[in-house]
Amino acid sequence: MDMTPDPAPPAQPLPEPRRLGPLARLAPEPMKVVLNWGRRYSLWVFNFGLACCAIEFIAASMSRHDFIRLGVIPFAPGPRQADLMIVSGTVTDKMAPAVKRLYEQMPEPKYVISFGACSNCGGPYWDSYSVTKGVDQIIPVDVYVPGCPPRPEALLQGILKLQEKIARESTGERYAPAKPSVQALTSGLVTPPAPAPGSGSGSGDTK
Amino acid sequence: MAPLPGIPGIPGSGLAKGLAVTLRTMTKRTVTAQYPDALPELPPRSRGVIALFEENCTVCMLCARECPDWCIYIDSHKETAPPAAPGGRERSRNVLDRFAIDFSLCMYCGICIEVCPFDALFWSPEFEYAETDILDLTHERDKLRDWMWTVPAPPALDPAAEEPKEIAAARKAAEKAAAAAEAARRDQGSRDDQDEGDA
Amino acid sequence: MTETTIGIGGAAEGTDMVLNIGPQHPSTHGVLRLRLVLDGERIRSAEPIVGYMHRGAEKLFEARDYRQIVMLANRHDWLSAFSNELGVVLAVERMLGMEVPERAVWTRTLLAELNRVLNHLMFLGSYPLELGGITPIFYAFTEREELQQVMEEVSGGRMHYMFNRVGGLKEDLPNGWTGRARATVAAVRSRMGRIDDLVLGNEIFRGRTRGVGVLSQQDVHGFGVSGPIARASGVDFDLRRDEPYLAYGELADTMRVVTRTEGDCLARFEVLLEQTHVALDLADACLDRLTDLPPGPINQRLPKVLKAPEGHTYAWTENPLGLNGYYLVSKGEKTPYRLKLRSASFNNIQALTVLLPGTLVADMVAILGSMFFVVGDVDK
Repeated sequence: MDMTPDPAPPAQPLPEPRRLGPLARLAPEPMKVVLNWGRRYSLWVFNFGLACCAIEFIAASMSRHDFIRLGVIPFAPGPRQADLMIVSGTVTDKMAPAVKRLYEQMPEPKYVISFGACSNCGGPYWDSYSVTKGVDQIIPVDVYVPGCPPRPEALLQGILKLQEKIARESTGERYAPAKPSVQALTSGLVTPPAPAPGSGSGSGDTK
Repeated sequence: MAPLPGIPGIPGSGLAKGLAVTLRTMTKRTVTAQYPDALPELPPRSRGVIALFEENCTVCMLCARECPDWCIYIDSHKETAPPAAPGGRERSRNVLDRFAIDFSLCMYCGICIEVCPFDALFWSPEFEYAETDILDLTHERDKLRDWMWTVPAPPALDPAAEEPKEIAAARKAAEKAAAAAEAARRDQGSRDDQDEGDA
Repeated sequence: MTETTIGIGGAAEGTDMVLNIGPQHPSTHGVLRLRLVLDGERIRSAEPIVGYMHRGAEKLFEARDYRQIVMLANRHDWLSAFSNELGVVLAVERMLGMEVPERAVWTRTLLAELNRVLNHLMFLGSYPLELGGITPIFYAFTEREELQQVMEEVSGGRMHYMFNRVGGLKEDLPNGWTGRARATVAAVRSRMGRIDDLVLGNEIFRGRTRGVGVLSQQDVHGFGVSGPIARASGVDFDLRRDEPYLAYGELADTMRVVTRTEGDCLARFEVLLEQTHVALDLADACLDRLTDLPPGPINQRLPKVLKAPEGHTYAWTENPLGLNGYYLVSKGEKTPYRLKLRSASFNNIQALTVLLPGTLVADMVAILGSMFFVVGDVDK
């Protein structure tokens, strides 16, 4: 995961991967390249279509944009057969347990793209009482696609970004127990604006 | 099942018609856009990313205040400049320290661009800025300034449309100047009254 | 939810089985959840459980001024963003007693109809998909892309246009846009026959929808069902004709209200398909009128701070999916005191409680898909 603060984590003794067989860590480098190459271009996608962005997701899978060209296959019958989950739309607090549960059902290695402002951080509904402020509060997200809703090409670019990431990754690092905590995902987003001189102060408050 | 008017009651004819559509479409050109290889042609009004022309920004905070989900962060401080003429008043002006837009929160409504009184914000159709870290989606002023290079010229308006107010203002100013120049020239010719040119 | 819902093969209450469909299920586009009590293959009772997409938009309206509300209002029914915006601005304009320039009225009508086509195309494609025919949605989305391109050129957005402002529209049309819009409308119309051929004449499609899920007129009135679903049951009511807003009053000769009397799934689909044709005709008529209009402004100069006077009003529009109403209460401040949203899908899916009992589980998907709902519109 890219969430780790320093890009080059110290070479720690490889822990027992959680779901991979014991032979996985013995796999030689060319094998890893082949594995990554295979994962990269057969991403069975499970669309967690929730709101507006789901329509743009469908548009991206249709003939005009057609992400099967990039090796993204939108026919996963369910989360258990999928490699990639695309969360498109507002995650509400009522829906969040279902998102988490379906994510947990996916087999490793699994990737998540958060598609659109709502699933990135709540978007237009960030101050609502019933909306989860970003799907990354409940599941780790690999790529964030901005937009409200993002255009289908933006999703394609997000997928390309994810594929680059998959090409770079090594399973040993991925399954190392030192996963970034939820704290690392959520803290330190922005510093609150300093009390602005003159007119600007306190304007962001919701009434 | 009653046959549709116009569809003969031969069993399977509806299926055959559908297949005929498929066959006809097969012979046509594909509609697929080859995105990573060929970039889409986007209209100039397309709302992709917000660019900041920070030279125009006077830190009036209107955009940050009017934003429906308050995703614009502006920091500034006051600077006082010495008076232009000795004995005059000190001038103070706001200096921009930070201008950031959180694109993970932005709802792409364009209110900030609309309310900006000094034309410091613009839409750019760029959309390729997906990130692996959500913090990178908060674009700081350097990045926002870089987007300026991708801002297209606004499209010409429909002939039946009213003039855009910028053009109207510019035209009025030009006409006024032309009239003044004309008047000045007339004054030069007749040398009657020198003050008339100012009117 | 206090009851425990159990999946197939689980325990049951009595001899009945309780089957849970959703909230994330391929046939419920969106996150609607259904709780069915089954007796063998028959559905004994059905209860739609809503709220998985509840985002509290009405509460958020109260913290935003009238310009910002427009931007939030278009998101509850994401397939008909333009019509949603329209309701809000119509309500505010009525409160202010504001007169909208003629050019804006006709452009709004035009864009609302184009938006209707976009919305209907989505359902024309997705309904056969739910019944097992994958092909039509590809055709529907090809048309949608064309229309979205036109909408994007004028407004900058593909789905959420945010083109309405109180007092008019955001900015005027780009040069040559009307010509391109006309060409696109003509192209879409010329290809609408493909959906006729692919879906409407298909024996399997007709066999699965004819006579299935008949909604009676009493139930339409009882549940406040509106839009194409109500008209498919013979309820001849369309705000565009019966209480004309925008420029619909002057479009009476083009405007046709499509009705059917059967009330079954096929009738609902037919109404939707024919409405698409009507909407395309209306768009053409609007384009004709736009070219004849004298040059003029497209919006009104607004004060810096827009405050609706104290009072209340109710503005309703014929959204693609049915009646969409905004009840606006203002205390004279720049934010509304309350903005109640009456959305079409919420009422429409309540009819499922009477539609589903007595039908087979296999028909459930056919009925559910033919209710043409958007979950955001249900849950707001």
